[in-house]
Amino acid sequence: MAILEVNNIKKIYTTRFGANKVQALSDVSFSVEKGEYVAIMGESGSGKTTLLNILAALDRPTSGSVCLDGNELSKIRETKIAEFRRENLGFVFQDFNLLDTFTLKDNIMLPLVLAGKHYGEMRAKLMPIVQKLGIEGLMGKYPYEVSGGQKQRAAVARALITHPKLILADEPTGALDSKSTDELLELFGKINQEGQTILMVTHSVKAASHASRVLFIKDGEVFHQIYRGNSSSEALYQKISDTLTILMTGGERR
Amino acid sequence: MRLGFYPKLAVTGIAKNKKTYVPYILTGIGMVMMFYIVTFLSENSAVGNMRGGESVQGFLSLGIGVIGIFSTMLLFYTNSFLIRRRKKEFGLYNILGMSKGNLSRVIIWESLIIAVTSIVLGLGCGVLFSKAAELLVSRILDSTVGFNFTVDEEALVMTLKWFGVIFSLILLSSLYQVYKSKPVELMKSESVGEKPPKANWLLALVGLVLLGGAYYLAITIQDPITVMLLFFVAVVMVIVATYLLFIAGSVTFCRLLQKNKRYYYKTNHFISLSSMVYRMKRNGAGLASICILSTMVLVMISSTSCLYIGGEDMLRQRYPRNMVLETNVADKEYTAYFHQVIDEELAAHQQREENAIHYRYVSFGGIREDDRIILDESKISASVDFSNYWQIFVIPLEDYNQIMGTSETVAEGEALIYATKTNFKYDEITLDGIGTFHVKNAEEGFVSNKTDSMQIMPSMFLFVPDVTDILNALNEIVVRTGDKGARGMAYIHDYYGFDLACDEQEQTEIYNRIMERVTAEPIMEATGLSAEEVAEQNLSVSFECMAAYRDDYLSLNSGFFALGLILGLVFICGAVLIMYYKQIIEGYEDQSRFEILQKVGMTKKEIKKSINSQVLTVFFAPLIMSGIHMGFAFPLVSKLLMLFGLMNIRLLILVTLGSFGVFALFYILVYLATSRAYYSIVSENNLD
Repeated sequence: MAILEVNNIKKIYTTRFGANKVQALSDVSFSVEKGEYVAIMGESGSGKTTLLNILAALDRPTSGSVCLDGNELSKIRETKIAEFRRENLGFVFQDFNLLDTFTLKDNIMLPLVLAGKHYGEMRAKLMPIVQKLGIEGLMGKYPYEVSGGQKQRAAVARALITHPKLILADEPTGALDSKSTDELLELFGKINQEGQTILMVTHSVKAASHASRVLFIKDGEVFHQIYRGNSSSEALYQKISDTLTILMTGGERR
Repeated sequence: MRLGFYPKLAVTGIAKNKKTYVPYILTGIGMVMMFYIVTFLSENSAVGNMRGGESVQGFLSLGIGVIGIFSTMLLFYTNSFLIRRRKKEFGLYNILGMSKGNLSRVIIWESLIIAVTSIVLGLGCGVLFSKAAELLVSRILDSTVGFNFTVDEEALVMTLKWFGVIFSLILLSSLYQVYKSKPVELMKSESVGEKPPKANWLLALVGLVLLGGAYYLAITIQDPITVMLLFFVAVVMVIVATYLLFIAGSVTFCRLLQKNKRYYYKTNHFISLSSMVYRMKRNGAGLASICILSTMVLVMISSTSCLYIGGEDMLRQRYPRNMVLETNVADKEYTAYFHQVIDEELAAHQQREENAIHYRYVSFGGIREDDRIILDESKISASVDFSNYWQIFVIPLEDYNQIMGTSETVAEGEALIYATKTNFKYDEITLDGIGTFHVKNAEEGFVSNKTDSMQIMPSMFLFVPDVTDILNALNEIVVRTGDKGARGMAYIHDYYGFDLACDEQEQTEIYNRIMERVTAEPIMEATGLSAEEVAEQNLSVSFECMAAYRDDYLSLNSGFFALGLILGLVFICGAVLIMYYKQIIEGYEDQSRFEILQKVGMTKKEIKKSINSQVLTVFFAPLIMSGIHMGFAFPLVSKLLMLFGLMNIRLLILVTLGSFGVFALFYILVYLATSRAYYSIVSENNLD
């Protein structure tokens, strides 16, 4: 069953005085099944971030539709959109986006506080997640006191705590060293195996090679996709590399 | 590189940062203008020639120093903020290949443009508005000025020098800051990781205790003399306490609230509270400064304008009638001589005495201990505590009834009593060595008295049927102690005051004529005694005219008022500027926070609401605090003003409330203006 359906979305940006139009997405369609782990790859300027913003309901497409678990995003009223985002989506960003005025614990609990949950309930939800991510000893620390990998794990905990239908990750390994990257990808694999649907946008072949499916975007369209099938991460890595080489050298559409 | 390159870079630098540079230049212009105007007024001969103008100029030259120092601090503060914001840009230039020498040239050009603009426009506005200021001063002094327009060269040069030095120093400090830093640091200097503020219980507690102590002092001190001694102690306590409370107290308070999990983990409180901790840590000192500045402005403006508005009142207290004749011997033959002189001169000017008051009194001082007045000179001079010193007037009941139009009577051993400035709450009063009286309160009070209105200590008026017993008792004390200085008190004084219908100029003329005759043919003539005998008996006469003293009397108040107005204006400008920059800094710092909050699922409306509540708290905390300070300072201020002879508490209340109201209104307007700038910054790429 598809949890996310993206149909023919198109996004045109108009410059401030309407003089120039830039087409960021021309026609993108794909769907994500429940429990899937999808990576979206593409070069800078291929429209990845625009796509992610549209999926996150931070931006609206010029045309086309996005359905999350049967709800069409464009039909949700402006006043409800933040609530919808809070309840159905979890975010992991390249630069963590933790608030420096909060301890890690408060950062992780933020979505629950915004949802108006009771403190007891928050605590009950907090503990298993931070234990799973191995950051239970850091709860009283502030973001500037911990390492990048620890920050990103806190950000993952914040994304998971609402049990969202979909996790959107935007270059989650972009600011991490290789060890932290490995740990984070392992973590993503683990939570995916527990049934969490993940959609990740990335540059990194290594990151993408952990996904169960990889979509390639070029010039605002889905150019190609690869299923992992039964291949190992290493094999998938090779396939992705090859595809990227074709993409780079300007290969024709399949 | 072409010659015009650096100036061009400097101009675009300023234009691109106009949100921060325009207020800076405006401050410069404003400060230069105020400085020139105040210097101009204190130098200008036209002001000096006004009635009372010289004392106003004396006050204003004090003001020059205050404005000079204040503008230096303000411009430095503003500039440090500007440089902090520009460092990233300079770092980029540095990395792109401009050497620090090149950067310095850009900075020098920028400073030059700013300094020249500020000084030229400031002086221009100063010259333009100096005439208006002159007119205002002449209005305050109730005087007139001609229409000629002058530019004071000395004031011009002094302003140029002063601000030339300030801007040069600022330039040096900016150059130093850029020189000592590395390009990578320059790039980053705005986003240095900030440690979470810690609650400092001790300092917060000290602040609370100090504030409580100062407030306690303010409301418990009763007599004006102690007030004078302790006023500055209380002021220092309040200033220290305000800083401690804003810096440590606010953070501690927020931390305390955060400890309460049920309160903290609520949607409304969560974001606001945790951001407030940081906001208060960053802004505590600034807010405390604003609070103290506003309190100073309010106290200054309300008290000086009160003195100015109440001047006429105070004058009337001091001179209950237009003309007052006082002789210290109530002998009819003796006083008759002076009355005759007055009558002759009035007749010559075809004037008649109106509203005449006439009473006799015996006056002396003593230390009050509960319901006892100690008159013993040795005990009095041995005492160091003057706060219990009372002035006593004993007046025949007959005179009281005549003046007040009453027919009061007192029983044997009873006296009608009226106390000024404080309440006398006892049933009996004992005058040491004279006797004890039952107290019967004089509900209607009594006409004001010169001695009482000029002294800060309270006075007690006793109205008794016969003053001779008291006089005799006093004489005995004088003889017993053998104190010559005390002799003056053992006389019955004669007080005679009357109004005239003619204008003040004519009153002054009449007064001068009478004075000529009274002093030319002094007491010897009236009594037939020799000069030695007159001195021996301590005889004296005084004749006073309100009109002749008015200018001297009021010019002091006018001077205070002019100074209060000008400094108030300058301080308000300073406070506004500090507030503006606080908002701007906050705006830039909140920008990134906004984005994150939106991504984790807060609506724009929620974010706006939360930010709004924080901004409101930060902005209005100083105003509210200074309102509270004012409230507690009120008893102190009112007693201090008593020293200047202002007894009208109602007027003080009205003026204080009025100035607070005007100030609050002004504050709100500034808030509205600056919060717009704030929102335009935070919503640059977030809240469309």
